Amino acid sequence: MKFISFIGAFLLALSLSASAQGNLEIDSPAIGALQRSMQQRHTQLAPLYTSGAVGLAADGTVALRDASLVPLPQRGPVAALIAAENADRGALYREIARANGHPEWEADVRKTFAQRWADRAQAGWWVQKDGSWVKK
Amino acid sequence: MVLFALPLGQPLVASGLGALSLAIDRVEHPAFAVRDLKIQFPPGGSASVGMGRLRIGEHQWRNLQLVCARGSLDAAVLRCEQGRLRVAGAASPLRIDFRLDLSDRSGELTVLARDGARVQVRLLPNGAVEADVRRFDLATLKTWLPALEAWSVLGRFDGKLSWQPERSVTLSGRLDGAGFGSSDGLRAAEQLVVDVGVEALWRAGGWDWSASSMWREGAAYLHPFYIEAGPQLVARGRLQGNGLDIVEASIRLEGVEQLAASATVDTANGLVERAAVALAGADLAVVGPRWLSPVLAPAATERLQFAGHVSGALEFAQGRLLALDAVFDQAGFSLRGADGGTGVAFGPLSGHVPWRESGATRAELSVGGGRWQKLALGAFEFAADIEGERVQAERIRIPLLDGAVVVDGLVLNRGEGGWRGSASLVIEPLSMRLLTDAVGLPSMSGVLSASMPGVRVSPGEVALDGALVISVFDGYLQATGLRLQEPFGVASHLVADIEARHIDLAQLTDTFSFGNISGFVDADVRGLELARWRPERFDARVVSSAGRYPRRISQRAVQNISALGGPGAVAAIQRSLLGFFDTFGYREIGFGCALRSGVCVMSGIDDGTTEGGFVIVRGGGIPALDVIGYNRRVDWRELIERLQRVIAGNVAPEVR
Repeated sequence: MKFISFIGAFLLALSLSASAQGNLEIDSPAIGALQRSMQQRHTQLAPLYTSGAVGLAADGTVALRDASLVPLPQRGPVAALIAAENADRGALYREIARANGHPEWEADVRKTFAQRWADRAQAGWWVQKDGSWVKK
Repeated sequence: MVLFALPLGQPLVASGLGALSLAIDRVEHPAFAVRDLKIQFPPGGSASVGMGRLRIGEHQWRNLQLVCARGSLDAAVLRCEQGRLRVAGAASPLRIDFRLDLSDRSGELTVLARDGARVQVRLLPNGAVEADVRRFDLATLKTWLPALEAWSVLGRFDGKLSWQPERSVTLSGRLDGAGFGSSDGLRAAEQLVVDVGVEALWRAGGWDWSASSMWREGAAYLHPFYIEAGPQLVARGRLQGNGLDIVEASIRLEGVEQLAASATVDTANGLVERAAVALAGADLAVVGPRWLSPVLAPAATERLQFAGHVSGALEFAQGRLLALDAVFDQAGFSLRGADGGTGVAFGPLSGHVPWRESGATRAELSVGGGRWQKLALGAFEFAADIEGERVQAERIRIPLLDGAVVVDGLVLNRGEGGWRGSASLVIEPLSMRLLTDAVGLPSMSGVLSASMPGVRVSPGEVALDGALVISVFDGYLQATGLRLQEPFGVASHLVADIEARHIDLAQLTDTFSFGNISGFVDADVRGLELARWRPERFDARVVSSAGRYPRRISQRAVQNISALGGPGAVAAIQRSLLGFFDTFGYREIGFGCALRSGVCVMSGIDDGTTEGGFVIVRGGGIPALDVIGYNRRVDWRELIERLQRVIAGNVAPEVR
């Protein structure tokens, strides 16, 4: 159900966030591909958010907050999972800015998304605020 | 814990009433020292030994109290049986038995901990110490080495220690069930079984040491590397004060013929002041996924493959990389597309890539070939000047089919977020026949070339300003505004605007076995987005070219156009004529398709409706006929499937 709630949160994030800066709801084939990729990965990331191993960073990425919560042989794959998620997130922010016709808005899109990920994080997930990690 | 005391040159002072009591200010031994030693023998045969301060090597303990169930001082032999000693850091008291001969400074000492750890020590008259250690709990090491406090060290040690103070130390044994972990978990090991051996000789105020270790079981994670048991180490060096010199370390590592390292470590703060690593004959297929992917492409470790060999050297100072040399021998690299495509590959490549923290270097690689998607790339030379995080290459000419891709003036800078740079790119003329054959398209004649003076690289995008021109079907097709976006991710796509002029329909329809249409068309495709070479989005418009030329359309072509839209989608007016003539005259052809979300929204010559439809072909001459579309929304995938069936010639045209 976490997966479903994530999709809900994600779509909500996209649909509610049309701001004066631009349209975060905007759709394009690339944005669709990124969303699908991130949704698929979310089933692997959700337990890591819950355990606290991975947190939502202030720059709109996810971060390996406490690797000791991950079994040793899984730490490499989790680091790779985080890198892949962050590659998708970076691409998503750029694509949304591009689809708005303003590639230079990337930093603003990233900032807005970082705030939304944090707002919509489930209770118990770790969120980075002012440089330190806070359990929501 | 080791505890023993031998008085040297200090008088024993006996005092007390009925009980013997000794007080000794200071005891010195090459291996240890004791201050304020008090030994009491109360009536009943027991004894207690108090030490104000005990120093062994560099380590000190204060106020130790040993209580012996039985104790005696007989002639010069001091004994303690079933002694109990409380030490800070140990959960339960240590059980201690000893016998010390004060006359020749010899003796035996056994220390037992409740967890089963046992240390048996023999003191030899020459001042040497020999210890046999069983099940020693490594967690207690942190009381000796406070630097270990943060590392959650655990496991046990079994082995032998031989110590001649200020002369030599020999240690051999096995760490079992050992592990450690930093608080963030980025550096950790579990279930280690490691055989270790150390020999050290005291010389000129320091230790000349040699060591060997064999890692038999367990695994470690040293972010971002996961390393399993197997590596073997032989090393030698010198330890003087806090300075640990690893003069030479040779490491046996799977997939590497030779690996050697040297380093200088400040043991006071654990800082590696300087280190150098040299490796020879590393098998990239083995070391690539383990040691290179996690650093170079952590997001694409599954898609990156390596082959061939590399040798090289690394130099570090204060944790910073100072110099790197990599010599590739028949190496190969391939990156599968994130979208499941074949991606890109280079190799076999050989050559030298040097890098220095300060100063410029020149990399030279000889690349045997490569592959981009379905296209094979020819052999080429790559030379680049590298300075810091800047790479500059004058000219790279990559042969492709009968032409070449030439990159001039490439400048790349690595900054926050990735690489940025610029170049100019030329595609020397390629035969379309070879290109279409190579990518599996119907064979076309013509030539492809490109001139893109403004290539800009930024994180997530390669912009190619200029034009790619294909002369084909008697006209030309020009792509401008080319953008390769998110080239290495799942959202990899190509964006362009296409302009086609004076395309000979006779050649086009013949190439694709679409019946026959004579005449010429112009086409404009705006905002074309290709993902995995499939259109995802565009606004296209095709119209008859201006000018005077024969305009005929064959019966089969009409049937094929009709078949594309599916039953009922397209109607040929005056269809009764269809059966009587092979070709028909037309005045103009015109249609548009706006592709969005897999649906092509069709339009005709003008958007005025004809009985609810739109005219695609307007008839003219004799005999003439109109082709009218009725279905404005066509599923793109279905349209392509129908087109493929029509081209394959196995569709039964349905005409109303």
